[in-house]
Amino acid sequence: MDTATHSRPATERGAGGGQLWSRRTLVHSSCAAALLAPWARWANAALSAGSGVSPGAGSAAAPGRQAPFRGAAGDEIVLGTSAAFTGPSRGLGNELYRGAMAYFRQINDSGGINGRRVTLKLYDDGYQPDPCVENTLKLMLEDQVFLLFGYVGTPTVTRVLPMLKKFQEERIYMFFPFTGAQPQREPPYGDFAFNLRASYRQETAGLVENFLATGRRRIAVFYQADAYGRSGWAGVRAALENHGETIAGEATYQRGARFTGTMRAQVEILQRAAPDAVICVGAYAACAAFARDAIDLGLRVPIANLSFVGSENLVNLLSEGRDDPEAYTRWLVNSQVVPSYEDESVPAVREYRELMARHDPQIPEEFLDEPYNPLPQSFVSLEGFVNAKLMCEIFRRFDGEPIRAGLEDAVFSIRDFDLGIGEQVSFGPERRQGLQRVYYTVVEDGRFVPLTDWNALPA
Amino acid sequence: MKVHKLFQRMRFGIFALFGLIVLSTSLLCIRTVDTELSAEYAANSQSIAKTIADASVDILLNRNLATLQSLIDQFLEVQGIRYIYITDETGEFLAHTFVPGIPEAILESDPFRTEPVERSLPGMGDFLEVSSPILAGVAGTVHLGMDLDLVALKIQRAIGQQVYLISILLVFGVLASIWLVNLVARPLAELLAYAVETARRPPEERAHAVRNEKLLERDDEVGQLARLILYMSRTRPPSGPGVLPDQGEARSAA
Repeated sequence: MDTATHSRPATERGAGGGQLWSRRTLVHSSCAAALLAPWARWANAALSAGSGVSPGAGSAAAPGRQAPFRGAAGDEIVLGTSAAFTGPSRGLGNELYRGAMAYFRQINDSGGINGRRVTLKLYDDGYQPDPCVENTLKLMLEDQVFLLFGYVGTPTVTRVLPMLKKFQEERIYMFFPFTGAQPQREPPYGDFAFNLRASYRQETAGLVENFLATGRRRIAVFYQADAYGRSGWAGVRAALENHGETIAGEATYQRGARFTGTMRAQVEILQRAAPDAVICVGAYAACAAFARDAIDLGLRVPIANLSFVGSENLVNLLSEGRDDPEAYTRWLVNSQVVPSYEDESVPAVREYRELMARHDPQIPEEFLDEPYNPLPQSFVSLEGFVNAKLMCEIFRRFDGEPIRAGLEDAVFSIRDFDLGIGEQVSFGPERRQGLQRVYYTVVEDGRFVPLTDWNALPA
Repeated sequence: MKVHKLFQRMRFGIFALFGLIVLSTSLLCIRTVDTELSAEYAANSQSIAKTIADASVDILLNRNLATLQSLIDQFLEVQGIRYIYITDETGEFLAHTFVPGIPEAILESDPFRTEPVERSLPGMGDFLEVSSPILAGVAGTVHLGMDLDLVALKIQRAIGQQVYLISILLVFGVLASIWLVNLVARPLAELLAYAVETARRPPEERAHAVRNEKLLERDDEVGQLARLILYMSRTRPPSGPGVLPDQGEARSAA
């Protein structure tokens, strides 16, 4: 059975000097060193060439390194997860987890993979980078998980990537993070992660091209003031640049903003730019607040959101308890990286719906600091489901006991694999992202349906 | 009877002296702390800007703006830094930490400027903005805003602590001085009272009636004076000027 534990920084006595060191200090030190150094790739190459030591061997003195990494020994394969299970973005972590657990439970109930159960070691980071880094350190050094799986968010993942490079000798990989940002897709960290979903760059490029094709040339961006927002902003900028256009206007918000907060200042900034469309790069609470205030203040243009937003939670916030539930939602255009969970013609969707209904995974009580109503189906849990499905397929590729050293080969053996979502999945040394397709949806009768005519968007 | 008049000037003098010390020390302290801390904050800001600039080179060349944003977000956690923005070689804003948007004053400023400048941003406060070129400026510039209000608050706090300490020393010093003066004044007052009482009595009664053992037994100057007064009260006035009893005679008279 999966386990769940809260993680909080602890104060520890340093082994050497008797000086008190907090875990945060250790984390910051290792992160700072790892973040600033890896950009000089040649430095590692020079080290290995000069000393005969492979890159990363310098980390041999790191705490806990004497113990061998476990995670796949015995009758279970332990995956480590740090995600947002609390806070304003908890819907993302919760649903991604539920979708993955629906599949893992099915696999475990039917005997596991080659007799091994798949379990998740969970930590909550509240979608904040520092706790995520601490959780990852714990997962790697204390829990010794086999790999990292199902992380949520760009600002969190971006901060963890240097740690993977720091411990690269241990070959601990991050699988299928719930983010479409570039850092885990490109050097110097691309070798430490495997992505399934399409990137934000692909999502924003698709949105921009479709808007431009329908004559909406003035595109503004509303984004989260962090790495996630910047990733989306950069995608929009690059896509517009390809067409000789620039971002018409931009406004930001602080990560962790709630729906009850106001986004009027941001709306006023964008109103001055007179945009034809706004692309939001944020989480559902803030994006819902922005859409509400934008429409209330008269900024009535299509408001696009990326897949990360948490579409169902967004719609719920904008429509629940309103006389006209579509007053706000009719302006929404959401890009998705998985097909609609309503489309039962897709085999994986049928399987997903069946297993979600059968297992109905619940959030561990440790994380329920306030009541949470799980969504029966959602794009996020469907993504978690297909993530788990592909993960299990990778484990099946091992002949015997799964070992970290064999992970890359196992992943690269996935060629034109039919995941059941209408798109073949392939991986290779130069291809560390499985899916490429982006879907576009609008809201009708409170549900997301495929967008078939971009010209029919409200003006 | 109290000896006020004799020590009033002394108390005033002590208080004035201590006050002068406190005032001059405080002024010197304010000036030193203000100058040193301001310079230190500016130097630290410049160092941080340079660190970001150095760390940004490869990130910028890889056009990895999410990582760049992540980098500056971490530096924003440093106390006193309120905003960071990075412009490229064309002056375009590549990453920043402003919410809800980049202020007009920043948008209109020279993105290539590297000299420190003080800014007042509406709704945000007053800042010292320092800048550092990335790759000698050909890759862009890092700009970093230090919160001057916070710096001023820190300086005020540092000065306040020093002035507080000096003020406490002043109070304790004055109280101690008063206590010490009173320590001297009390026996003098008793001596005065003893002399007055002795003087009030007729000469024939003085030899038997006036004695103050507490005073007479003191072995300090007050005791000597008391014994002298007693001796003088029992003897007739000397016949000529300059004739005084020696201490042995006065002690035997007591």
